Amino acid sequence: MNAQEILIAMLPEHLLLAGIVLLLCLEIAPGRARGAFAISLLAVASATVAAIWLFAIGYAAEPFAGQYSVDPVASLGKAIVLALAVLVLLISRGELTQRAFPVLLLSSLYGVCLLLSSDTFLTLFLGLELMSLPVYVLVLLAFRRPESAEAALKYLVLGGTASATLLMGVSLLYGASGSLSLDVFAEAIESPGTMAGVAVALVVVSFFLKAAIVPFHAWAPDAYEAATVPVTAYMSTIVKAGVLLAAVRVFGGVPLSSPTTELVALLPLLSIVWGNLAAMRQQSFRRMIAYSSIAHAGYLFYAFLGDGAGRFQAVAFYVLVYGLMNILAFAVLPQNADDAARDRLDNLKGLFRRDRFAALMIAIAMLSLAGIPPFPGFVAKFLIFKNVFAAGYTLYAVLGLVGSYLGIYFYLRVIQYLFMSTEEGAPQQPPERLALGAGFICLVASILLAVFPGWVLGLS
Amino acid sequence: MSDAALLNIVLYLPLAGIAGIVALPQRRDGQVRALSLAVMLLQFVVAALLYLRFDPAAEGLQFETRLPWIAAWGVYYQIGLDGYNVLLVLLTAFLGPLVVAGAFSAIQREVKLFYAMVLALQFAMVGTFVAQDLFLFYLFWEAMLIPLFFIIGIWGGERRIYATLKFVLYTAFGSILMLAAVIYLVHSLNTTSGVTTFAFADLYKAELPLDVQTILLAAFALSFAIKVPMVPLHTWLPDAHVEAPTAGSVILAGVLLKMGTYGFMKLAFPLFPDAARLYAPLFGTLAVVSIIYGACLALVQTDIKKIIAYSSISHLGYVMLGLVSLDLLGIQGAVVQMVSHGLVAGGLFLMVGMIYERCHTRELAAYGGIAKLLPIYSVFLLILTLAAIGLPTTSGFTGEFLALLGAFRAAWPLHVQGTDYPLIVASSAVAGVVLGALYMLWFAQRFLFGEAKAPHQPLRDLNFREKSILAAIVVAVFAFGLFPNEPMRKTELAARQYQRLVRTERGGGKVAVAPSSPMLSAAGNPSGPVSAPSRDPNSPARAPGADEGTR
Repeated sequence: MNAQEILIAMLPEHLLLAGIVLLLCLEIAPGRARGAFAISLLAVASATVAAIWLFAIGYAAEPFAGQYSVDPVASLGKAIVLALAVLVLLISRGELTQRAFPVLLLSSLYGVCLLLSSDTFLTLFLGLELMSLPVYVLVLLAFRRPESAEAALKYLVLGGTASATLLMGVSLLYGASGSLSLDVFAEAIESPGTMAGVAVALVVVSFFLKAAIVPFHAWAPDAYEAATVPVTAYMSTIVKAGVLLAAVRVFGGVPLSSPTTELVALLPLLSIVWGNLAAMRQQSFRRMIAYSSIAHAGYLFYAFLGDGAGRFQAVAFYVLVYGLMNILAFAVLPQNADDAARDRLDNLKGLFRRDRFAALMIAIAMLSLAGIPPFPGFVAKFLIFKNVFAAGYTLYAVLGLVGSYLGIYFYLRVIQYLFMSTEEGAPQQPPERLALGAGFICLVASILLAVFPGWVLGLS
Repeated sequence: MSDAALLNIVLYLPLAGIAGIVALPQRRDGQVRALSLAVMLLQFVVAALLYLRFDPAAEGLQFETRLPWIAAWGVYYQIGLDGYNVLLVLLTAFLGPLVVAGAFSAIQREVKLFYAMVLALQFAMVGTFVAQDLFLFYLFWEAMLIPLFFIIGIWGGERRIYATLKFVLYTAFGSILMLAAVIYLVHSLNTTSGVTTFAFADLYKAELPLDVQTILLAAFALSFAIKVPMVPLHTWLPDAHVEAPTAGSVILAGVLLKMGTYGFMKLAFPLFPDAARLYAPLFGTLAVVSIIYGACLALVQTDIKKIIAYSSISHLGYVMLGLVSLDLLGIQGAVVQMVSHGLVAGGLFLMVGMIYERCHTRELAAYGGIAKLLPIYSVFLLILTLAAIGLPTTSGFTGEFLALLGAFRAAWPLHVQGTDYPLIVASSAVAGVVLGALYMLWFAQRFLFGEAKAPHQPLRDLNFREKSILAAIVVAVFAFGLFPNEPMRKTELAARQYQRLVRTERGGGKVAVAPSSPMLSAAGNPSGPVSAPSRDPNSPARAPGADEGTR
């Protein structure tokens, strides 16, 4: 452990921390709140650059040996998550009336970064909690509707259950092996013992809870609907990405063996099917995205059926594409003072006549989420299912693909509302300029991902 | 400029056109139309140039571009022309300007979006035909859905939402299973040979056991059969056709349906030849059922557009029949029939659109004696009707006749040998010819002749734009009918290659299927596997002359 290593290896975290401290100082200092947005944006953007830089030079170090390490894979994961966070910040200008918002967001991001560098379950747990706790508050922060309290409480309780489940599993692992290192999980997967099996199941279930996999998904639609649009975007992209990338770290490269395979295949399959079916009936945009995110969490866990090295690549590429598309849809969603009205799908009817750019962007996001080529969502899905086929799980792969087919309908329904409805939704204000900028960045990035997927895949 | 660049120009011109349209300011509808037409005409000129320079004697791809795209997966950006697609690319490029010009008066709202979608569809269709890499093919294949979803959904008729969702959900279901089959195919090739490749040429060499071939063929065939469409997977077609705007119908009938038969010819049958031979009787039967059932349905329709829509099902049955016959004449007939149907059905849909613009109804009962009211229109309609029936000197004759001839040439030797089923199938197909004449002539009689009546009189006859569109189609129909040799020469090598590929046994040595027997040979037992092991492959079953070319 030396100071220089700590300084360089944790540069993204340090920059986030500096941002948090500055924001807190601003809170004490009398004056305007306008600086808060600039500071948080600057902190996250510089942290992104730092993570990219660490990845580019291939930096690898263990500032806290056995607890926290940095390697190019971790840096790439952080870079993806932080870059998505920059975009989320760009669409959350309206949230800044809530002074606590940027502080909470940055704290949560710090947790994600910690998560992606953790070597032991101790650090992992620390990161997971630091990531989740601010989000419980963020859901409740706006308190625009009475249901928000219920949703936030539900989220808190189920999130707490997830933590408890994780701790239970980890303590069993510790009991069996005497170590808290992430490696013991891989050993437990391979060991035939009952205790190891229970421990693995508990850890996996805790990840399912955090990622909203059926039947542990009930909190997601409520929480997504209760939160404001930027918070929903944050939850559906960055929290999900953090959980999944952390799961990649925990699972490592070991091939799954029965019954872990069944656990990691059946429940995600159920999520894909149920998420897509339930999304068909939603009348609220955010609830629909919540169910869609349940289905996407299913695809993401499918990646774990694949072989070791491909897991990170598949998950990283998928969360990047999925995050960009979600943020794109949220960025151009028309503004409305009434949060519930902004959310109603009916209000999107005939949007193309009122706001062409927004309608086209939402359409692209929906088609990409549906996995229809040539949009990048297809390549992401293809990569995951290719790995599942390669690992020999033909039946699960085919069922997953058929499940993904179910999703096409509700994505197309949104497009139908936007373009083909003769009715008019309530007039709403166009999105803010910054949000449009974020949408534009998402669009350019997704075009690049669609035309040159090989380049991005080559990185990881 | 190199030839390969020319093919890329054909492919990407529509994209450039979209960029141009987007750059134009709002409410410049005239400029949008002119720009789209110019782009399409230019595409046709370049495509025609490529067609003329296409060397029919050269094996393999011409005007080929092959660049690594997703290196880690072995995916290449590989496009090129061969005998399979050269005519279809030309057909697509030929119909493009006609579709654009045909929509000048019909499409009055969201003009920019409409032409952008038509150009996007054109891009995806040409891409599907020229792609020589399975990943690329699938990308274009699926991408075709999106513009058509918009075209039917925004500019369609009353029940357009229902029709467009039905169309997309139907075809997407086939595609998703095909995707599974694609991944499985590439993966299993990877495990046996160690290379990951999506190139058609490499996939043709894949050796798979028969049971795997059967499942993969089923997945591919489902996707393609929905597109063709073959009975009983055809129910999306009438809805999509009736609700689509004219341009959508023309593209649908003219090009999109050929994607299905092209897929069978280029992918499904040659990739899984053993399974294809085994199930040829099934495909042959479905083809004939499509021919007759489609014709019967066309007979009883009261909506003009539906008559043409169901006639498409019938006409594409001949294509499938020619393909499964595995007789060289039959295969070439199938190819000619694809192009011919594209021209004739495309033209008929354009004509239905023209009368609809004038009278705002497609009910056949509302019309009568149009020959007296619209003489020029009626001449064109009669020519296209006769071409649809397959009158000699029109393109329809060549295709239908050759496809039927091929089916008989494949079936006769088997009949001599004692297997009657193929001959029964082939003979039943002839009934379709009679029915075809019946429904088209009856339609012409009710529509064109008799007491003159039409809603919205007086009617003005065709204007210069409409006359030019139809004249182009009629010239092509006759050119194809009178001089079929030239296009058939260009496709002959491909037909031979297809024949050779499907006759090759590639079961990895694990299955015994009567080798190199004509496709219908397994027909003794249409439902089960080959049950006649006694049939000696060296017996005179291989009819003398069955392999002879057309020259």
